[in-house]
Amino acid sequence: MMDTIIFVLAGAFATATPLLLAAIGEAVVEKTGVMNLSVEGMMAFAAAVAFAVTYQTGNIVLGFGLAVGASVALSLVFSVLVLAFSANQIVSGLAVGILGLGLSSLVGRNFENLTMMAPANLSPPVLSELPLVGLILFQQNAITYLAFAVAFLTWWFLARTRHGRITKVVGEDPAIAHNLGFAVIRIRLFAIIFGATMSGLGGAYASTILTPGWSDGLIAGRGWIAVALVVFGTWRPLRIAFGAYLFGALLLGDLAVQATGFSVPPQIMTSLPYVMTIVVLAAVSRNALLIRLNAPVSLGQNFRPSK
Amino acid sequence: MFQIIRAPLLGAVLSMSWSGALFAQEPLDVAIVAPNAIGDVGWDHEVVRGKEVLEERFGEKINVTVIDSVGEGPNATRVMNRLVANGTDVLILGSFGHMSDGLALAKRSPELKVLHIGGYQNLPNFATFTTRHYQASYLCGMAAGYATKNQQLGVVAAFPLPEVLGILNAYVLGAQSVNPDLKPVKVVWLNAWYDPPRDRSSAESLISQGADVIYSLFPGTPSAVATAEEKGVYAVTTLSDNSAHAPTKHLCAGQANFGVVYADVVQSVIDGTFEGKDIFAGVAEGAMEVAGLSKDLTEEQRAAILAKQDAMRDGSFDPFTGPVMNNNGSEAIASGKTLNSSEIKSMDFLVEGIDSRLQN
Amino acid sequence: MIGGYALVQRSEVSLKSIMLVPLVTFVLALLGSMVLFGFLGAPPLEVLYRLLIDPLASAYNISEVVIKAAPLILIAQGLAIGFRAKVWNIGAEGQLIIGAVAASVIPITFPESQNILMLPTMMLAGMISGAAWAGIAAALKTRFNASEIIVTLMLNQIAVQILYFLINGPLKDPMGFSYPQSVSFPPVAMYPLLSGDGVLRANASIFVVVLLSIVALIYVTRTFSGYTLLVGGLAPSAASYAGFSAKKAVWITLLIGGAAAGLAGVGEISGPIGRLQPSLSPGYGFAAIIVAYLGGLHPVGILLAGTFMAIVYVGADGAIIDVGLPPAAPVIFQGMVLVFYLASFALVQYRIVRIQPEARA
Repeated sequence: MMDTIIFVLAGAFATATPLLLAAIGEAVVEKTGVMNLSVEGMMAFAAAVAFAVTYQTGNIVLGFGLAVGASVALSLVFSVLVLAFSANQIVSGLAVGILGLGLSSLVGRNFENLTMMAPANLSPPVLSELPLVGLILFQQNAITYLAFAVAFLTWWFLARTRHGRITKVVGEDPAIAHNLGFAVIRIRLFAIIFGATMSGLGGAYASTILTPGWSDGLIAGRGWIAVALVVFGTWRPLRIAFGAYLFGALLLGDLAVQATGFSVPPQIMTSLPYVMTIVVLAAVSRNALLIRLNAPVSLGQNFRPSK
Repeated sequence: MFQIIRAPLLGAVLSMSWSGALFAQEPLDVAIVAPNAIGDVGWDHEVVRGKEVLEERFGEKINVTVIDSVGEGPNATRVMNRLVANGTDVLILGSFGHMSDGLALAKRSPELKVLHIGGYQNLPNFATFTTRHYQASYLCGMAAGYATKNQQLGVVAAFPLPEVLGILNAYVLGAQSVNPDLKPVKVVWLNAWYDPPRDRSSAESLISQGADVIYSLFPGTPSAVATAEEKGVYAVTTLSDNSAHAPTKHLCAGQANFGVVYADVVQSVIDGTFEGKDIFAGVAEGAMEVAGLSKDLTEEQRAAILAKQDAMRDGSFDPFTGPVMNNNGSEAIASGKTLNSSEIKSMDFLVEGIDSRLQN
Repeated sequence: MIGGYALVQRSEVSLKSIMLVPLVTFVLALLGSMVLFGFLGAPPLEVLYRLLIDPLASAYNISEVVIKAAPLILIAQGLAIGFRAKVWNIGAEGQLIIGAVAASVIPITFPESQNILMLPTMMLAGMISGAAWAGIAAALKTRFNASEIIVTLMLNQIAVQILYFLINGPLKDPMGFSYPQSVSFPPVAMYPLLSGDGVLRANASIFVVVLLSIVALIYVTRTFSGYTLLVGGLAPSAASYAGFSAKKAVWITLLIGGAAAGLAGVGEISGPIGRLQPSLSPGYGFAAIIVAYLGGLHPVGILLAGTFMAIVYVGADGAIIDVGLPPAAPVIFQGMVLVFYLASFALVQYRIVRIQPEARA
């Protein structure tokens, strides 16, 4: 029983990592007032590229690098549509997402069902030997620590720095931001690229570390969970990190419960994150003040500096 | 790899010809349809690998086309129709989900011969084929019974379908036959054919609960096997020898050879003796065998396993021979009784010693 | 405002230039795909022939185009009404699934029935349940101000899980060896086929689709509420000025969109599929968003765009078999069409102007 609990508590960190990375990226994008629904496509494309490159060259750093490059390339298509051409954000995101999924199948085609060894987890000498805590917290992959560090740094950036506040103003009211002399389009572009970088890292982590192998459809809706997480965490990085961990534990809890001989319909467990997201969204949106405090007001609206 | 499809390129407009009639000199057109992308192991790999056997045996006399990534649904019908319109004489369907479309097509095209893998309905020109995978599974169960140190086996299984239950039950019976001290076997149902991250997490979950042999029972990917290797526990697999994914910890695999059955069916079409029958082929027919046995097993243990396989081949041994108890305490197979093919194909129980419950 | 250039909205967009958009998209997508397919080692001209001409070159292929076009057009007509009013229903896929699941309960409960009212009842059940599923988003939007984009997206995922649960449980065929699928539907639950020989699969659902497209056309051009929904998208205040509250617009558009998608779900189970099974739609709900946009959110345009997409889909299946196109190619093509459309749409709507350095604050 103890082993099962440790498995879920420790495993939730690993499972949460790609969700957290992608969700933090998307949260920053949405904070500037842009909704990029191509997260699933970017993650899938990055995952395919990361696996293909790492498998061929044995160089995981190169794999991650090119995966991020692939994801960013997709996001540039999105940026041109949305920022330069003022195309509808929702439809543009879906379009680029479809493109990403198609490209992932294409790149992954020669690597179907291949596997490789996962790189070893970090185990810092003293910490990892602590009873219980060591097992749960200090035997994770480096990327997992990075993901939680990114969440913390993003919180710090948005809440504590001048650039962070500017970023939020852009999402609150791009016209005011423009009048104050901030380059709205450029800030949104940086945010989109940051988001793509995070989605790329998340996708690469999924195919090289979390499940070191490639099969078409590997991302399996994790991009959509990330989009849900942003809402679940009410656009706040630390809450998103908590949500990612919770969703990760939920995904594993089902398996662990099964292995103990009980059985919950797996569909209920799988639906839970989405149901919880709807509940949270309704709860924070209900109150005009609450939603203003959390959700970026101009989300989904394009901005053209006409004068 | 993009050119995996070797289609008879028919140039301009294709006429709607439904005739699959054989002309004296024309080679027989055989088409194999696989549901997913093709990897180096697993279901789709095996479905497609049968092509090699066909080409080796029939050479110039046949033309084999392979189409992959055709899942169930409206598109599958279109692809099959297209193949038939292109002159396919024998259609081999590699997914359970192809059943209703294939049946409809076979009804309309009496000249066409269809071999469907994994289904349960027949027509005069529509044969079905299932492997007796449970036989190899019993043998791998023996290997697992020998190899486990913790007396704890773990199984990552796809869906609780009758075929899967049969394979699981035989595995546990095989393990119990050589190891009386076994703890109840733990099972995680993926309820999916295809979800690699869950394959892996399931294996990890079982390992965390003390399982030191992981049976990857029809998950779509080798993820669970690779996980076992990584964590230093043994891996047992279905369908293909997965040694490449677990170089040191591959304990045993049930190796399917669909090509043997393809070849028999194609031969029957050439001879004009094709029947829409229900083919249930196993060790005796060469359609199943045990493969990738670990070097960690002793000579005696390997010999015992192979002897059992020989006994299956000559019919002197059958895994589903009573008495076998249901894990709900009732009797599943009466003493002295052996399950017949249709009983095996509609299996709806778990044997004693499996720590899992069926939902319905 | 990139590199000193900016887009300025044209004061007047001529009808001619709007008509030009699909054409430009079409040409760009063709060129793009020729490059892509050439790169993949398939002869580009051959592929083009397979994609565009071959699907219309035989009765069978035309019938397949009809089957594919029907759900795309139907869903897109429903979505477009919402999109025009800036109500973002991204949940057609889930509404289709729920519509199909609810309607399937009738033939699964009465598999021996010969009552000819079964299909009409199923159509009604599909529409009501699809609308109800979308209604969740409308209720949360109007009561709690919750973004319908997020809610409909989440409801897609939940709908799939409901389907999986029911098809592995109560709706499973008891004689089907516990495979996750329902019994086959009786003939009265099926749309009648257009040809009697059983070879062509096209069925009467296409008439329903065409009829509803005509209704949509009348609705948006001739009726007051259609007009207000058109206006509502442009400015919320204008809509309320016309006596049509924003809340009402949210409800109406989501219910219409959900009903259309639910009906499309019935079209699949009572048409080419003939039973309930885990995979009901190859992403029709998402592809219909493309169709709605490609059709300029106009009923006639959607009819044309849906037919075009169906031709390409059917052609792609042929190209995969005959010229060895990888199965991912049609997906990439789909994404490309939409990207080019969005880009060329922007180019007719806006002019590119050079911004004077001093104009940049």
